[in-house]
Amino acid sequence: MTRTVKKHSDKYKPTIVAWRFNVVLAIVVLIYSGLMARTAYIQVFEPDMLKKQGDKRSLRTLANTVQRGSILDRNGNELAISVPVETVWADPKIVIDSKALTMSKHWQALADVLGRDVNKLTSRVIQNPAKRFVYVERQVSPVVANYIKELKIPGIHLRKESKRFYPTGEISAHIVGFTDLDDKGIEGVERVYDKLLTGNDGKTQFRKDAKNRIIEILAVEPPTEAQDLVLSIDQRIQAIAYSELKGAVEAFKATSGSVVVVNVHTGEVLALVNSPSYNPNNRRNTAIHRFRNRAITDFYEPGSIMKPLAVLSALEFGSADLDTIIDTAPIRIGGRRFADPRYYGKLTLAGILAHSSNVGATKLALSIPKEFYLDTFFDAGFGEDTGTGLIGESSGIMHDRQRWSKVELATLSYGMGLAATPMQLARFYSTLANGGVKRPLSILKINPEDIKNIESTRIFSQKNSNAVVTMLEDVVNHLAPKAKVPGYRVGGKTGTAFKALAGGYGNDYVGLFAGIAPITKPELVVVVVINEPGGDLYHGGEVAAPVFSRVMKGALQVLNIIPDAQKVAQNRQDLIKIDKSATSKNKDNVDV
Amino acid sequence: MRSSGQDQQKIHSIWHRLHIDLPLLAGLLCLITLGLFVIYSAGGQEINIVFKHASRAGFALIVMLVVAQIPPLTYRKWAVPLFVIGLVLLISVLLFGHVGKGAKRWINIGITNIQPSEIMKLIVPIMIAWYVSEYNLPAKLNTIIIAFILVLIPTLLIAKQPDLGTSLLIASSGIFVIFLAGASWKLIISCAGLASAFVPVLWFFLMKDYQKQRVLTFLNPEQDPLGSGYQIIQSQIAIGSGGLNGKGWLQGTQSQLEFLPERHTDFIFAVFSEEFGLIGVSLLLLVYLFIVMRGLWIAVNAQDAFTKLLAGSLTLTFFIYVFVNIGMVSGILPVVGVPLPLVSYGGTSMVTLMAGFGILMAISTHRRFHV
Repeated sequence: MTRTVKKHSDKYKPTIVAWRFNVVLAIVVLIYSGLMARTAYIQVFEPDMLKKQGDKRSLRTLANTVQRGSILDRNGNELAISVPVETVWADPKIVIDSKALTMSKHWQALADVLGRDVNKLTSRVIQNPAKRFVYVERQVSPVVANYIKELKIPGIHLRKESKRFYPTGEISAHIVGFTDLDDKGIEGVERVYDKLLTGNDGKTQFRKDAKNRIIEILAVEPPTEAQDLVLSIDQRIQAIAYSELKGAVEAFKATSGSVVVVNVHTGEVLALVNSPSYNPNNRRNTAIHRFRNRAITDFYEPGSIMKPLAVLSALEFGSADLDTIIDTAPIRIGGRRFADPRYYGKLTLAGILAHSSNVGATKLALSIPKEFYLDTFFDAGFGEDTGTGLIGESSGIMHDRQRWSKVELATLSYGMGLAATPMQLARFYSTLANGGVKRPLSILKINPEDIKNIESTRIFSQKNSNAVVTMLEDVVNHLAPKAKVPGYRVGGKTGTAFKALAGGYGNDYVGLFAGIAPITKPELVVVVVINEPGGDLYHGGEVAAPVFSRVMKGALQVLNIIPDAQKVAQNRQDLIKIDKSATSKNKDNVDV
Repeated sequence: MRSSGQDQQKIHSIWHRLHIDLPLLAGLLCLITLGLFVIYSAGGQEINIVFKHASRAGFALIVMLVVAQIPPLTYRKWAVPLFVIGLVLLISVLLFGHVGKGAKRWINIGITNIQPSEIMKLIVPIMIAWYVSEYNLPAKLNTIIIAFILVLIPTLLIAKQPDLGTSLLIASSGIFVIFLAGASWKLIISCAGLASAFVPVLWFFLMKDYQKQRVLTFLNPEQDPLGSGYQIIQSQIAIGSGGLNGKGWLQGTQSQLEFLPERHTDFIFAVFSEEFGLIGVSLLLLVYLFIVMRGLWIAVNAQDAFTKLLAGSLTLTFFIYVFVNIGMVSGILPVVGVPLPLVSYGGTSMVTLMAGFGILMAISTHRRFHV
């Protein structure tokens, strides 16, 4: 090509320098490559970001909020309900564009009704002129909302929201939990069953164009109704348990306490209270420790409250029976002396429990092969959670190791060397009361037709379980008279343990009581924990037993459970008429 | 290369008699057809727009064929009168032209509204090519200075309308002639220096606020993504979302959903890129490259200095169209109103462009002698 040009330029009128065309051509090709490279860069290296940006401009998801379901107790009483409220928000762009800030009287009125400073209010708008949404005040009552609507300030809008209200206040605060400002459950069953309570907001994902017209619908997720949640809690028992516990914690100057009430047949938790509690309707300035659901999060060395398990283990293995007599004289194991506060003499199994003899429990523990003995602890649910599904539930401490010294096995028999939550203790005692059948605890109400479907495992024989339950009645009569409930036969066990600290035991105690009633046909288990009582009284039989007695009494009455003790039955002629057989049968068992 | 073999010469001669350059015509038809498809997609799938565009394209083709029949010598003779008429029209536009889209560009000449700046796109290269070729090449310094002044007058008149895009195109068409006429490198570099010295003057005294805003937006489109930066961000998103293979014809969401302003005119490249991807863009650029190379080939083989310079200038101006349009749509140049030649919707620029190609065809087919 070049040559041809040259030839021409020579032949005819001398013209252009030919190489300029080559330079031009080179530049053209170069620039085209540049354009190609630029497009390739946008299309191949940046496309993910740009595609996302494209979707951001055209994809929209529409959510239809459903009102959060209520939380009810087993009898339909409301524990948590949603009330309609309105949220005030501002569109600063509209406010500024329509020069609404000049309406100073209106703003003053708005600030007054919200109890706010007018300058702070307007400055929020002025400082975000480009924004299209700022909150002015959340969750105002319908009356205030109407007033604000009447002010007709351009750019000030209202949005319907719902606010959680907890009618039972601090009584059920720990179990129910609470939601945040956006109606999302963040504690308790509000959190655990958040999805069920909110239902599923129906979602429609669609593509829209710049003029907000819907172009194509990409996905439709049908809404699921928000459901009400029915808890196993019986608010009446819950209220009794809370007021008794609160009174005891104050009276004994304890740092905290918990009460758990369980239906032994179904594993339903009828009451679960802690003290100190908090007001879920006004959580401002609440110390964080008050939010703790101690009945499931805190674990203690249970102490003597575990002795029935050692007895049961010996009965199950067969190294002892109801007639076995054990000498409780001090003994020496592995160089360590085991002795009771005083010598109780020769005791039956019932006597060991009734006197809470550490030596007796130790001797029983050592009469059983290690593996069998430890298995009973694991079987009874120590070291595992109780199945409530509550968030933050602890499994306590139960070591699963190969080597156990005799001393360790011995101390385990009277509840040292392991730690359990009040819930775990309640589960063990309900297993005992239930004739040896272990069930998971449930925080939700179990419908009568579902009872047979509850997962259950027999871990102890009916006979031995019943035998231990009967022994527990002796314990109440001899050791913890304060746990007695008039009119009912009650069994239970006290526990008093030093609080374990790093490197040993400190000076603080935990007073516990776990008990069963009525003994004739067990229905309820109540576990009481009084943590770190600060007064002169600290023994489980002194601080926890009275609480147990009152809570158990209240619960039995509320549930209309027939008294099984003869003394009361005699005083109440009507009862005798109704259930003659029961009273005559019970006659034999009174004052064993 | 031009004339090898008897048969080829025969075919050659048929098209020659019709004054049609076949490869060039093929390339142009290719672009126009493509344009119809993309406009259908970008214009909201309204067939009326396509018909309107097709009839304009047909008219432009006829203009091209008519222009091609006129021997280049005629332009040479008429260069000065045409230039003077053009200047008169430009001045009258400024004095009593129509206002459209905020700028005075149109003038009523009795029968219809015309846009003198479009005609100047052809007249300026003719004028400069004539002036420069009157002297021996390479051109002397004073020739070049006068040529520059001749370019500057219409450029400033059009910039005053204001129509930055067209004035840039006209300036470059003139400068190409001067460059090809053999301005020395020294001169080119000093001119470049002078031009950069002129930039602040341009910025502070000549550019309107909206033009300044465009440059600022180009430098940082994110500063106002919903305002002036919107268009450029949207177009990049559209291009990018095409990926390698594109979304397919009529499937581009960004453009179909009207997120992209001016999508069937100046920003049609974004629509094309979204729907046809990198592969489509490569093919499109190849077609453009082919046309430019054919134009340069015609220039190189033209028989005298005037036609050589004219052909070179017209071709390079076409190339500048492509470069500026794709450059602005893909965000490497500021937004100036330059359409994607022969693809964008819009009649005026297409007619001018096709008339330019008519001149190119005339140059390639009207030969005083055959080798």
